[in-house]
Amino acid sequence: MAKRHVIVGGGTAGWNAITTIREIDGGDSEIILVSAENPYSRMVLPYYLSQEIGEAHVFTASETRLGALGVETRFGRRAVRLNPNDNKLILDDDEELAYDDLLIATGSSAVRAPVPGADGANVHSFWTLDQAKEVTASLKPGVRVAMIGAGFISFTILNALIKRGADLTVIEIAPRILPRMVDDAGAEIVQGWLEERGVKILAGAEITSIEDAPGGGKTLKLKAGANIEADLVIMATGIKTNLEWLEGSGVEVNSGVVVNDHLRSSDSNIYAAGDVAEGPDLLGDGKAVHAIEPTAMQHGRVAGANMAGLDTAYEGSLLMNIVDVLDLEIASFGNWNDEDAEVIQIVKKDRPAYRKLLFNGGRLVGAILLGRSRDIWMTNDVGMLKGLVQSGCDLSEWKEHLRGNPFDIKRAYLAVGASGSLIPETLLGRPSVPERDIAVQS
Amino acid sequence: MKVLKIVPERCTGCMRCELACSYEQTGAFQPSKSVIRVSAFEGHTSYSPYTCPQCDEGWCLTACPVEAISINAAGAKDVMDEACVGCKLCTIACPYGTIFYDPARHKAFKCDLCGGAPACVDVCPRAAILYEEAEVSDWVGPFAAERTHGPGGALTAEVK
Ligand SMILES: Cc1cc2nc3c(=O)[nH]c(=O)nc-3n(C[C@H](O)[C@H](O)[C@H](O)COP(=O)(O)OP(=O)(O)OC[C@H]3O[C@@H](n4cnc5c(N)ncnc54)[C@H](O)[C@@H]3O)c2cc1C
Ligand code: SF4
Ligand code: SF4
Repeated sequence: MAKRHVIVGGGTAGWNAITTIREIDGGDSEIILVSAENPYSRMVLPYYLSQEIGEAHVFTASETRLGALGVETRFGRRAVRLNPNDNKLILDDDEELAYDDLLIATGSSAVRAPVPGADGANVHSFWTLDQAKEVTASLKPGVRVAMIGAGFISFTILNALIKRGADLTVIEIAPRILPRMVDDAGAEIVQGWLEERGVKILAGAEITSIEDAPGGGKTLKLKAGANIEADLVIMATGIKTNLEWLEGSGVEVNSGVVVNDHLRSSDSNIYAAGDVAEGPDLLGDGKAVHAIEPTAMQHGRVAGANMAGLDTAYEGSLLMNIVDVLDLEIASFGNWNDEDAEVIQIVKKDRPAYRKLLFNGGRLVGAILLGRSRDIWMTNDVGMLKGLVQSGCDLSEWKEHLRGNPFDIKRAYLAVGASGSLIPETLLGRPSVPERDIAVQS
Repeated sequence: MKVLKIVPERCTGCMRCELACSYEQTGAFQPSKSVIRVSAFEGHTSYSPYTCPQCDEGWCLTACPVEAISINAAGAKDVMDEACVGCKLCTIACPYGTIFYDPARHKAFKCDLCGGAPACVDVCPRAAILYEEAEVSDWVGPFAAERTHGPGGALTAEVK
């Protein structure tokens, strides 16, 4: 009998696992995808909000595409229990699915700050398509938006809110914005840039309640300072991994499902991938939850390869983010906040340009880059810095030069042979195949 | 597969490849829009172009959340404008630094081998860029290493 793979969660990780299994087995196994939502890419929701793309553009694995790949679906259904002893998954309508192996790819969900009124009318999260639709429908030019949280996710939707004409106030409880993406110096530049462009920012501000205002608006009360009046409140105050359904299963869980370099959990036929998985960290011996799109993609593909019977080890995920706000690019990689690292850092005075390079001996272990979108070095250098972190090339000879000019990264990159050491690298030990080129026998 | 083989020793730094590339890619003679880029070494006495090696992994292709990068008839990874949302994930995923972002169009762009007739190869007067069957290799690395050690190179501090 054909092997049966059950995939729980149809986001980035689940979808990449499916295409990888099919790339390898050409249709020679049963796959069942259980997903609470129809598969789509969360990270393009900001472009849906800005109305640059329509709803159809966000979907990844349609029923038709999955059908062509020989995948059975259970959409709109949730996994509620896992029973590894008899290899069964139980769904919310009591259906029991037997599996030979199973992938946990249930991602994460938005959490709201524990503030009275956080669940009231006109208070939204922005994590799912349904939530994005609610916010999209409520926006019109001039709407006063209070965005609670100044982290990466809130910054990914900032452009869209401004483009749709919102009058935006961002409120952050930490002493500064982007506390988990850039350092103090970077945050200061970003805040200045946004304020010059009319975005109001309150950092170090604690909200004590969100109340209905007369006339349909909302009043946000602060611990110190004047109230904020808004028509719409968006809470981007963090995420949590979707693990509840694993309770009692015995699968080892820490911050996420703990997996080894084959993406296997404590049960050898149960895999985990994406936001929900705590896997190998490229830059350390430990394990980490890196809740970002590239990690979900790589986890999904490596898990899929192993589920399809290959023996594929994963080197580990690298934290990396890039976002632009009103044409200022902000990017950070790896251990950008490593306090033990040797730091090379420069701020240009004449224009917003900031760069920080972090070294461990001769090895680059992290970086922060800030610059205008139209300064072409921004997106050029972003990739090369990632390549230097990824390849671990020895930059000892270049450190002094980079200390004088950390913007001159390209010659260092070329001279240490970074591309040469990267050329043999592939994730699965072979060239990648785009999904549309995967051939499946019917 | 036919790839762009770079012979840096032959490059004179004339920048014709950048002009031809930007014209082919965007219709403008504007080196900043070129996806092949010439770097200077040893105080602007040596030069070499550098571009996407069409790597096997295709980090850009696999990173794209909306599958906007495909492989064209020439075997190059190619951005499909109508699908690209401009999220720039490909620009941080590509460890070679050879996929770019056009802020005016909100799209990523990269070397597509001009569909099989690379303009840079056509215009290079010194045959420093060849389009031929070859295993991809680090064409520029050894040259760059050699040309950054002497006086006038980046590492002059080392030879004082
Ligand atoms: C607005 C926004 C912008 C973002 N921007 C970026 C960015 O620029 N760069 C970046 O790297 N990352 C970004 N991210 C994060 C990125 O989208 C996630 O890291 C990625 O989606 C994780 O993929 P995943 O497959 O692990 O989980 P998800 O994509 O969350 O998919 C999980 C799936 O599991 C389903 N599910 C959950 N529970 C169950 C259950 N019990 N039973 C069945 N199905 C279930 C869900 O419905 C969903 O379909 C962004 C996210 C958002 C919301
Ligand atoms: S742009 Fe970068 S990731 Fe994409 S094919 Fe070229 S070298 Fe590979
Ligand atoms: S910028 Fe375009 S091509 Fe690059 S990852 Fe985003 S959508 Fe894909």
